[in-house]
Amino acid sequence: MDSGEANMSGASMVSAHSTNIVGDAISKIMEFKDKVFSIEQRGGIVRIKIHRDILPHIVQRLAILKGIYLRTMMASDERGLEGVYRLYYVFGVDKEHTNLVFEVALPQEDPKVPTVVDINRASDWYELEAHDMLGVEFLNRKLYRLVLPEDWPEKVHPLKKEYSVSELLKLYRPKAVEYAKEIGAENIVTIPIGPYHPALHEPEFFELYVRGEKVIDARYMGFMVHRGIEKLGENMKYDQVPFLAERICGICGFVHSTSYCQAVENALDIDVPERALFIRSIILEIERIHSHLLWVGVALHLLGYDTGFMHSWRIRERVMILAELLTGSRKTYGINVVGGVRRDIDNDKIRKAIDVLNYVREEFKKLVEISINVPQVTARLRGTGVLPLGEAIALSLVGPTARGSGLDRDVRRDYPYAAYKYVSFRVPTYSEGDNLARTLVRVDETFESIDMLYQLLDKLPSGSIRNESWSVEPYRLGIGSVEAPRGEVIHVLLTGEYSPYRWRVRAPTYQNLPAIPIMLKGIDLADAPLTIASIDPCFSCTDRAIVVDVDRNTVKSIPIEALSLKGTRAIR
Amino acid sequence: MVKFLKIIPIAVKTGTVTIKYPYQEPLVTDSFRGAIEIDPNKCVGCGACTRICPPKALTLTTESNTMILRYFVGRCIFCGMCADTCPEKAIKITKEFELATGNIYDLYSDVEHEVKTCSICGKTFTSKKLSNKIASKVPDIPTETMDLCPDCRRKETLKKFIGVPEQ
Repeated sequence: MDSGEANMSGASMVSAHSTNIVGDAISKIMEFKDKVFSIEQRGGIVRIKIHRDILPHIVQRLAILKGIYLRTMMASDERGLEGVYRLYYVFGVDKEHTNLVFEVALPQEDPKVPTVVDINRASDWYELEAHDMLGVEFLNRKLYRLVLPEDWPEKVHPLKKEYSVSELLKLYRPKAVEYAKEIGAENIVTIPIGPYHPALHEPEFFELYVRGEKVIDARYMGFMVHRGIEKLGENMKYDQVPFLAERICGICGFVHSTSYCQAVENALDIDVPERALFIRSIILEIERIHSHLLWVGVALHLLGYDTGFMHSWRIRERVMILAELLTGSRKTYGINVVGGVRRDIDNDKIRKAIDVLNYVREEFKKLVEISINVPQVTARLRGTGVLPLGEAIALSLVGPTARGSGLDRDVRRDYPYAAYKYVSFRVPTYSEGDNLARTLVRVDETFESIDMLYQLLDKLPSGSIRNESWSVEPYRLGIGSVEAPRGEVIHVLLTGEYSPYRWRVRAPTYQNLPAIPIMLKGIDLADAPLTIASIDPCFSCTDRAIVVDVDRNTVKSIPIEALSLKGTRAIR
Repeated sequence: MVKFLKIIPIAVKTGTVTIKYPYQEPLVTDSFRGAIEIDPNKCVGCGACTRICPPKALTLTTESNTMILRYFVGRCIFCGMCADTCPEKAIKITKEFELATGNIYDLYSDVEHEVKTCSICGKTFTSKKLSNKIASKVPDIPTETMDLCPDCRRKETLKKFIGVPEQ
């Protein structure tokens, strides 16, 4: 690299100005200075371009440093720009509010890179997904399909720029079509009935290996309902994507739209009015309260205590109505746009919100007394599904799952966004790592959120709620992360001319799921459902089934509700 | 076991929380966003709403001499971006949420516009209403230019500047 010298001086400048861990990391990286092409710092991100050969060495060096974890990895097709595929490994330094982004360019004719999965276990799915979606080869590891279905055509990597969404729909011929032809059926509806039917609670499939009543090992299979949302986002305008992002999750959608907007704002240096930041925080905390109340209800239901479930959801209902009052919708609030929010909160709404918060605080306190704190419930929760701190760190876990194992990590404090820097709050952590610890983290957090909301509503500054005067500059990198009820959500975005060039979404369950087999090992079979639920899994799903019309040779997706409607008609 | 029993006074105090829908108070708050309503008198058929609509519930098509702005509530996500965008304020967000129907055609509503045809090539290009609106806002555009489709307008303008190209 010719310009190596000039860039290196920039690199030493970064390390001189940085605090400990980032500085240490950079000095470790500089051991390989022949293969470090450039280092630049902007908006809480340190971008480090490195040669692919040194990636495992770098990850190895980072593993020794404490307090650095893999947050996400984005693979991007940049053949049109520079003739390469590029991998962006995003490492977070919690204590220093900084993201280290390692950028590895892979020549298009030879997209190969050494694996890092033996050094960093959290990278496993990221590598498999990059292999599926872009055809990147990771050397020295077993590669298999993770995201794409088994009947997906070979060598078609959907995130490559040459495939449009409509082309992909034409290319994908589900096996069901062949089978329908074989049996000569005219109009076939395939209904997958089995352990991972999407209409069940969540499209998850765990294989539990048991000896007697004890679980010996567990294996997870997922990605039944991959929707290709990242690809869809590449064809939408900047202000349309928040509405798509919000539909990634049915429970914590606002975290995704916020995360997306923050990524764009970070990439393009857009100033967001303070009032908008407060409104985002208010809605995010309301969302957390309703999500935790939902979870507590489901947990009680799994324990066979349906009265507690009903009462938890009764309290939650008031929060749902409040959310509708403040945003216009019970869920998928639809008020986030790049540069701010679309709905304001007036004094009347603040008054009503405080009434609801008072009610929820009192009622939830009573509910905890009569449900979670009773001996029968604690006996089921205590000591089951234990996740040791070491494993939590090794797997780069996030959210209440991490905090239940004593890993004190919270995006609201560590990578401040929205209005969290204006309020004081505690991050509850428990060191036991069992189901009780994770439950108590959520209970405590609910009260913390209520407390935070009083502060936010009280301090709500005046001013505008939206900055509309921003313009796009293509090919800039932005990161937006939000502490969702289930853990951190992180969006990495590369701007394009009219739409995001590449938009990478990572939901908390993606990071936390690999911890479930560890929790399940050695527990009683009866505790398995609650243990699985204890990470509050969210598989980002919508229920879709496939209709195959053999005559016309078309495949279309229809909502599962439509199928059940047909059943109702048949009865009539 | 005693602790569990404390639920009884809570349940008694709470009473019934479900309401006798639809006979009691409305289910939704004042801020609620439901289906939209397009005022055909105000709509000029510019199509701004169709371009911002995230789920493409609003579409603009031309069938022979009619331009149709179609709203399919089945795809609508009730975000209200169309109402924010509409330059004519023709779109109103209603509180309507009881949209279930046995007949899918009930989910479509159309606003029809007469289209203008280009005086040279005969192609349809915009709604008459939008054209009139522009003419009233920008009075110095000559009428003959207003009657041309964008392609022919470009050609005609060029001809004025560089003359008619020799064949």
